[in-house]
Amino acid sequence: MKNALTGVERALFWTLVFAAFAAAAAGLAARAVDRLAAERQASLTQYAIVRVVAPDAPAGTAAAMAALNRAAHVEQATPMSAARAAQLLGGAVPPGEIPAIQLIELTLEPDAPGDVGDSLEAALAEGGVTGEVTLAPPEADALAARLRLAAVWGAALFAAVMALIISLAARGLAARRRELVTVMADCGATQAQAAGRIADEATLLGLYAGLVGGLLAGAAGLAVLLIAIPGVDVDALRTMILPIDLAPIAAAPLGAAIAAGAGARAAAGFFHGQAARLG
Amino acid sequence: MARQNSFDTDLFERGVLARLSGVDAGYGAATVLRGVDFEARKGEVALVTGPEAAGKTSLMHLLRLTLAPRAGRALILGADIARVGARTRAKIKRRIGYVAENPVFVEHWSAFENIVLPLKMAGARARDYTLDVHELVDFVGLASAASDLAMEKLSGAERRRVAIARALAIKPDLILADDPTAGMSPAEGRRIVRVLAEMRRVGAGVVIASQDESLAECGPILRWRIERGRVSPVDHPTRAEAEALE
Repeated sequence: MKNALTGVERALFWTLVFAAFAAAAAGLAARAVDRLAAERQASLTQYAIVRVVAPDAPAGTAAAMAALNRAAHVEQATPMSAARAAQLLGGAVPPGEIPAIQLIELTLEPDAPGDVGDSLEAALAEGGVTGEVTLAPPEADALAARLRLAAVWGAALFAAVMALIISLAARGLAARRRELVTVMADCGATQAQAAGRIADEATLLGLYAGLVGGLLAGAAGLAVLLIAIPGVDVDALRTMILPIDLAPIAAAPLGAAIAAGAGARAAAGFFHGQAARLG
Repeated sequence: MARQNSFDTDLFERGVLARLSGVDAGYGAATVLRGVDFEARKGEVALVTGPEAAGKTSLMHLLRLTLAPRAGRALILGADIARVGARTRAKIKRRIGYVAENPVFVEHWSAFENIVLPLKMAGARARDYTLDVHELVDFVGLASAASDLAMEKLSGAERRRVAIARALAIKPDLILADDPTAGMSPAEGRRIVRVLAEMRRVGAGVVIASQDESLAECGPILRWRIERGRVSPVDHPTRAEAEALE
């Protein structure tokens, strides 16, 4: 690493840092999108509405609530208020104008089967209630699923482009070391020896750059969270951030090191081939 | 079968470091060397002289395994260079000390670091070679202060001395010097040739290419003449005469 961070190498180092930062930041953003979409997906697929047909309110609602609270796969049952109904209608009808409704909102357990509606209606019947259960249609979570997929593949594609940029920048480092490769070839170094030496240097540079880029992306992500969630404290952040969310930060040094090493190795191998060719 | 013909260890053990037999070589469509017969032996110094563009540097490239023969046979340190693979060629090159006409260095490294590079490549440890390399620096006439300077700060003559020291550092079997006295005063040039010729005493074979025929006066040197790609011996003593001289 002698003089590795002087002149052109310093500019190269910061290019690698920027690429690693961008890749890690994209990864963090993808994780955020994935988590929000997963929550949305869960809220849509684990949701059902019960319309109590008989007996009439309020006895009907109370009996239905009692039956649903005993039923399997129900996490939570909440009678729908006029205010909640108005909210679901998007404020088109004021709460005061909404007639008495006999609707119950259900949050189902994540492992509830697709035909849970039938078993819920049976549970209501056992409780002496006639009710209709409406489940979220199967395509309700399609958008969220597509969003999650787009986030994962988008981040992967972006990281691949950044890896390509790092690899090409590392070729620049190999070009700066061309004289060393030539001298080594003259002294009888094999391609693996000469390219390996340059690749080692580039790998180390990529590792440091990835570390700096990853940490910067982590700091930027933290700043975004602090701004986006007013009043959030460190303890809340600690519980909110899962270990898997840190994967892009951990992957940045590794990915940058591999991409830089591979790029420099390829270029140095080419230079060695030119220097040692049997013309 | 091909592998059996790739090496002639017997020839090498008899002291023949390089033997070219009827070799043609060149670049692209141009044939630079034609029907070359040449030999370099252990403990001998060969001086190849000839006018500009006669093929001296091409002969050196052939001997240092960067130019392939198109016809004939080239045996270098016992290996037929047209038949061996890249790995074996690299192995053989590690036993050849080469002083290029325009030597390439790692410019921001010191002269000392450039000299020890082949030793580091061979896995030698600094404590084992440092003293020897300082002696070598003295031997080639490079001021020890200069050996600590970055290459880009050295004069042309000093750079050539560094190139010679780097070539000798690995204690090569064969030393090739392409115009090693270029840009030097006649006295300085002769001193450099004497330094190179000294290596015959430790059993190396030395081949020097130059336009300057007077370098043959620097010691017991076998002369070869190259013209238009053809090499011929000049006043070579018979084996008996050579032994008597020894």
